Amino acid sequence: MLARGVPLVLLLAAGIYLTLAFQLPFGSGARPGAGFYPVIVAVFAIAVALVATVSAFRGAAVAEPVELDAPSRRRVVISVVALVAFCLALPWVGYPAAAFAFVTVVLRYLGARWTTALLTGALSSAGSYVLFAVLLDVPLPHGPW
Amino acid sequence: MGPLDGLAYGFSIALLPGNLFACFVGVLVGTIVGVLPGIGPVGAMALLLPSTFAMHPATALIMLAGIYYGAMYGGSTTSILVNVPGEAGSVVTLLDGYQMTKKGRAGAALTIAAVGSFFAGTVGVVGIMLAAGWLAEVAIQFGPPEYFAITLGGILLLSRLSGGSILNAFVMVALGLALGTVGMDSISALRRFTFGSVQLAQGIELVPVIMGVYGVAEVLLLAEEGIAKTQIASVKLRELLPTRQEWRRSTMPIARGSVVGFLTGLVPGPAAVLSTFISYTLEKKVSKTPEKFGTGMIEGVAGPEAANNGATAGAMVPLLSLGIPFSPATAILLGALVVHGLQPGPLMISQQPEVFWGFVASMYIGNLMLLILNLPLVGVFVTVLRLPQHVLATLVLLLCLVGAFSLSNSFLDLWVLVVFGVFGYALRKLRVDPSPMVVALVLGPMMEKTLRQALFLTRGSVVELVARPLSATILLLAAAALFGPPLVRLLRGGRST
Repeated sequence: MLARGVPLVLLLAAGIYLTLAFQLPFGSGARPGAGFYPVIVAVFAIAVALVATVSAFRGAAVAEPVELDAPSRRRVVISVVALVAFCLALPWVGYPAAAFAFVTVVLRYLGARWTTALLTGALSSAGSYVLFAVLLDVPLPHGPW
Repeated sequence: MGPLDGLAYGFSIALLPGNLFACFVGVLVGTIVGVLPGIGPVGAMALLLPSTFAMHPATALIMLAGIYYGAMYGGSTTSILVNVPGEAGSVVTLLDGYQMTKKGRAGAALTIAAVGSFFAGTVGVVGIMLAAGWLAEVAIQFGPPEYFAITLGGILLLSRLSGGSILNAFVMVALGLALGTVGMDSISALRRFTFGSVQLAQGIELVPVIMGVYGVAEVLLLAEEGIAKTQIASVKLRELLPTRQEWRRSTMPIARGSVVGFLTGLVPGPAAVLSTFISYTLEKKVSKTPEKFGTGMIEGVAGPEAANNGATAGAMVPLLSLGIPFSPATAILLGALVVHGLQPGPLMISQQPEVFWGFVASMYIGNLMLLILNLPLVGVFVTVLRLPQHVLATLVLLLCLVGAFSLSNSFLDLWVLVVFGVFGYALRKLRVDPSPMVVALVLGPMMEKTLRQALFLTRGSVVELVARPLSATILLLAAAALFGPPLVRLLRGGRST
């Protein structure tokens, strides 16, 4: 399923990329425009995706990923969800709160005790805020407070 | 400036207190990330890149490169003591290194690895001095057609050498090249593939991509494990001394490994990793007892450990003399220089001698620091392995997030980080190497610019473009490397049937 799905997605993506590339001014051989090189890249991408699709449907051996057990999968999913949540929340709640919540939640789900998770969350968000916002002058969002 | 004057001048730069400190921080961080499995030098270099923005370019280069070659020292420690490679360049070391630990010769293996690395680092510095200077002189005459051939040839070679299937590598290259076209066109200033986004007009930044693919993705792999306990063999200081026989057996492998490593480093590809495999195979071939490899042969540690250090030095040559990075690690170094408005290339050695020579001299000093750090203090670094992995993993994620944001205070970089982190994790699950994508993302824009300039020069004649002696040679070599092996196989197969 995955072995055949991925090449098809690639082919589709390369096709869309080519369509978009054709909308840019192509220019001529002697005066290549902004679309000249993207069209070449798109043709290369389509060729590669075609070969990948053909070899996948002819049953070439493709490494299927090893199945994870449920707890491992949950730990990875939680980490990814936390990363996305951090990015979404950062502009609204500010860096210190987002970092604290991020570290605490991820650590807790990776198997740390609540006390360890909360303490590490507090120390790391404060420490990194001081390092980046105060010492390195990075304008980290600080939220509504 | 001749090589010796240059080196003397370089030492006067590298020995400035600020640069010495940067070198120390670099090699220390490098050793630590080398020791820690899961977090490699490339991710660490990307993480620390923002902190170098305020430094002098030479200082930035000294620190970031220190992480790169420092990791080669640290990686061997974990391979030898824990039977887990600290980073990819130390995979081969564990074959014989861990067997030596089982026989109680861990200390000797560590010492030989460190001394071999130091020797190779020294050879590498001499190599850079000679090769980079020579190449830069030749490269002054290069025009856009030659640069186009070098970037194209480099990408093709890299796809061949990156391990795994060449088809997968080509998919990664296509993706990297396409990503490289996002943003403002450098010649006509037209916005391409930005879908109206102002932020995307800047293009997709390399550093969050690298942080994602090499930082976040590796942490996600660690997260699978949850809380894991590591078994570490302990080493006593007096066990560190190899016997006279062990020294004798290691001398030639170290010498061969240094040369093999440096030469591999010059070639586009995952040089540090590749060089260790080449060196191991070579040592096995010249050995009188090849069947004993894998049972704790000191040659199997000495050669590859020298080779991966030699390779890190060799990889600097195309970067410093042509301004072309052929690996993710050197791409970050290029990024660090470009931020300061420096364009590495054939003129850098004469126009910014303090950067070039200061850097070369610092590599020598850094290798000396590493020898001291890694021998008597090996126990200290091993305790890093006892740190709870899940805490470390979470903190690295947080550092990636805040680091990506601080690059240009942009939320887009954060999203690029997360998307490429998940993507990089998926690639690792599918056993696909992401480095062709990263290198293509860096080389793509260079390739486009040089191609368009070259076509302009030759009035659109592709024949004229590829028929210039140098371009033709480079492209032929790349084509031979790409199509040679399958062609030979085809011919052999045809003959046998």
